[in-house]
Amino acid sequence: MNDATGTRDGLDDATRREFLKRLAVAGAAASFGAIGLILPESAGALATSDYDWTRHRWVYLIDTRKCIGCGACVRACRVENDVPDGMYRTWVERYHIPAGGEAAVDSPDGGAGGFLPVAGAAEPGKAFFVPKICNHCEQTPCTQVCPVGASYSTRDGVVLVDAERCIGCGYCVQACPYGSRYLDPRTHTAEKCTWCYHRLVKGRSTACVGICPTAARMIGDRENPDDPINEILATQRILVLQPELLTKPQCFYLGLDMEVR
Amino acid sequence: MRTDHPLWHAKHIVRMGLLLLLGVTVMIVVRSLLVPDTWGQYGWYRGANVEEQRDHPLQHGGDASCAGCHPEQEATHAAGAHAAVRCELCHAPVALHAKDDAYFAAMPVRRTAALCVSCHQRLAARPADFPQIRPQEHVAEMGGEYGPEACFDCHDPHAPL
Repeated sequence: MNDATGTRDGLDDATRREFLKRLAVAGAAASFGAIGLILPESAGALATSDYDWTRHRWVYLIDTRKCIGCGACVRACRVENDVPDGMYRTWVERYHIPAGGEAAVDSPDGGAGGFLPVAGAAEPGKAFFVPKICNHCEQTPCTQVCPVGASYSTRDGVVLVDAERCIGCGYCVQACPYGSRYLDPRTHTAEKCTWCYHRLVKGRSTACVGICPTAARMIGDRENPDDPINEILATQRILVLQPELLTKPQCFYLGLDMEVR
Repeated sequence: MRTDHPLWHAKHIVRMGLLLLLGVTVMIVVRSLLVPDTWGQYGWYRGANVEEQRDHPLQHGGDASCAGCHPEQEATHAAGAHAAVRCELCHAPVALHAKDDAYFAAMPVRRTAALCVSCHQRLAARPADFPQIRPQEHVAEMGGEYGPEACFDCHDPHAPL
């Protein structure tokens, strides 16, 4: 640059300096641009429908004392959400706990066809049904492990999977302590209960809640003070599954036994 | 330039800087091609998926969607002991049967004792106050013969009691 010949390649010092300066500015701009691309934009409400997800917070409630184990919820879910055979977004477990003995749990075909009497079983000390479903945890182990950002929690508290992003690694299936996820054998992507999100946003109940003949299942909106679920959650003794895992399940239980995991 | 000049090494830095810039540029271009448009719209996921999830078609329509074409059954059902049992529980989701308020396919028929006992078979795990029977014994007591049609000799599924 301080070369005796002044220029080597047709550029004088001023032009070269100018070029480098512009290059630096462009580089800096590009870097900031990249940061802008990486950081999520500030969020607002979805504009596309009159459903405003910032004004809802869904929670689920299961009263195990009301469940008759008919399996209607499992069948309804299967059709509503096109769940393949052998996979379950919700299922019903039967517990038989003899006095002082070990719990026996069964769930033939997820309880879809109902239950038959247990052949030759002694009269149990206690027996009951426990419907299970994705807990839509507030602290989700499943979405946290997703390497491609295919699984996420919506603003209104629903945990979903984007099948287009999902690479089918199955990490989330293993991460869920409640066994709520499966890999769809047709698409090889992770699937799970969506709390019938397509129904909730249209003012409908989930398929399982809607079909339950004994109102053992309820879904409600914490943001709506008139929703009967809030009264129950505020006045009844409620439990969640495996609270020791600190996943903050948003599916609450009435009448749960400590044997249930 | 002399080799002992203080700026002799500057060109290495310039070359390195240019390479770095090239790398950053390539990254930005590749990233803009691979990252979906709505990525990061609401968080670390594809924002468009929220709307896709919401667009999923409904299958269950609820009792109201049946009453329009079947007012008689609806009236019987509403007055009977099965009033709390939704039509689609025993039948099937309305989407398999009607589309845009018009018939297009027959409802699957599940009129068998197996359907009845899925709720009313006596089980230890069922709440004690829920009406339950041992089907064979119950039918025998009533003087019938147990079979797939046995329940319907006495009970109308729409209003069983």
